[in-house]
Amino acid sequence: MTTNRRWHSGMFATEDWWSVWIGLALFAASLAVLLGIDVVGWMARPRPWEWTNLTSEFAWSKLFAPAGAAYAGWHPLVSFAATYLVFTALFATGARFLKLDVPRFVFGFTVLFLVTWAAWIAGNELHLTMVDATVGGRNRYAEGGLTWGLQLGEGAPYLLALLAGLALGNFARQFAATRLAEGARPEWYIKTAIVFLGVNLGAQTIEASGFAFDLVLTGAAATFVAYLFFWPIVYAAARTWFGFKRDVAAVVASGISVCGASAAIATAGAIRAKPVIPVTVSMVVVIFAMIELIVLPGFYTALLPDQPIVNGAALGMTVKTDGADAAAGALLDELMIARHAQLTGESWQTGWILSAALLTKIWIDVFIGVWAFVLALVWIRKVEKRADAVQVSPMEIWFRFPKFVFGYFIAWGVYFLIATQGEALAEALDTGTAVVAGPMRTMLFMLTFVAMGAMTDFAKLKGMGKIVLLYGLALVVVIAPIAYGVAYLFHRGLAPPLVGQ
Amino acid sequence: MSDRELVLSYEGRRWRARGEGVDVAHDELRGLEALIGATVAKDAAPVEVRLEFDMSALPRWLHQYHGHYCNYTLRVPPRAVLA
Repeated sequence: MTTNRRWHSGMFATEDWWSVWIGLALFAASLAVLLGIDVVGWMARPRPWEWTNLTSEFAWSKLFAPAGAAYAGWHPLVSFAATYLVFTALFATGARFLKLDVPRFVFGFTVLFLVTWAAWIAGNELHLTMVDATVGGRNRYAEGGLTWGLQLGEGAPYLLALLAGLALGNFARQFAATRLAEGARPEWYIKTAIVFLGVNLGAQTIEASGFAFDLVLTGAAATFVAYLFFWPIVYAAARTWFGFKRDVAAVVASGISVCGASAAIATAGAIRAKPVIPVTVSMVVVIFAMIELIVLPGFYTALLPDQPIVNGAALGMTVKTDGADAAAGALLDELMIARHAQLTGESWQTGWILSAALLTKIWIDVFIGVWAFVLALVWIRKVEKRADAVQVSPMEIWFRFPKFVFGYFIAWGVYFLIATQGEALAEALDTGTAVVAGPMRTMLFMLTFVAMGAMTDFAKLKGMGKIVLLYGLALVVVIAPIAYGVAYLFHRGLAPPLVGQ
Repeated sequence: MSDRELVLSYEGRRWRARGEGVDVAHDELRGLEALIGATVAKDAAPVEVRLEFDMSALPRWLHQYHGHYCNYTLRVPPRAVLA
């Protein structure tokens, strides 16, 4: 039995809280570097490689190596084993507290971990990643003697991870549903990665505080648009044109226009709808989020390659579920950087476009509790007209608050506080947190791509005609165009700093 | 502070409330609340029943998206009013 009774309920019993504990534990470990000890440098990190070079003289060190200089003497396979063991132990501990079937979780996690690494290593082959562009007077593509290449930049590993996950979910359907499901927890992995991203936000705040403020401002606008603009339009369409009952229309409207499965569940709970409604809507949301993840990063890159932050923020308002939004943001970040280098010979810093997508989404997430509480009051008083018999407590807002946001802002605040205490300290901090904000964060993003793919079975859309049609129409006609317009209004002309700036 | 605390769940297409000697189920939530009222109502004073949803009634894969469904307080009028 799992009920939320006290303010601290669920602190060790939800994925949301466990993303905070795991994220902050690794972030805290990385801070040991301030005492001169590197306790996270064992993390393995893939290296760029070229297949003719590899096959002529094979060496594991050409594929991956320990991330920390203090661990440079470790054999790459020992570093890989350490990475597997530490992350498996951390997530298995969480799984035990979450009352999951731990052996099944470890099996699923291990398979997804191995697929993730296979995609990550394969995706670093130079024919997939290297961009034919002269940046800072150097053309590494030509220097490397490449004659052909897909030029996907660092987006290549993400795309491979996505394809691998989708292959599992759709061609090994039974295996994915029965053996991998316990370990396929994309929201848990991505929320942990988002805690790590607090470090990136800290660095970005120091580098360009105006930019960070601008993102916060747009986040507020995005929240307004999602709750007070998208929701009423989709609700009205669901009621008027699709004939959904009030409760179904409200849950569908939240799922489509606010923040996906999370909003669908929160809304259904607030209006005390039968749980079968948010379960059905969430299944559709998760599959549509995957479609958005596949289509939108490439589409936005092609649409306005010179408007990176517009594209990032538009993604944050359009793609539902945190996992899909962060994953799409990471993919967009890499695709746009590669495209911009091709077009101009300039290299944008990584992470800024992703931050635009993420901060916009986090703003929307944060207000889901308030929204659900208001909706509950309206439902009781105006729809059911039972204010005398039913009462909801403001504690509902707390129970619905996305807790991983604490981890994100704690990491940001701690990084910011330490980094502003002096140059030497800031330098040491950067060295320590680079592993957490770099390969650890990227690996969890990759794991999210694979896990999302593995739990996306497109066949589940069969028989959900009306909801699917409404979702498709709302996305194409209402949400995507308006989100893009709002993002353009606030962010046009903004771009990440150049590498080396 | 409520007079009674029950666990609310959804099992096999039926709402169910149980705890403190109460165990009732109904297809509709309104129907369930009526059953709760009939079970816990007192002769003269109203009763406040706290209902806390058991998240294990939702599929486990859904929990990662949102860890709470709903808690609320049901005010049951005295028997005289119910009758």
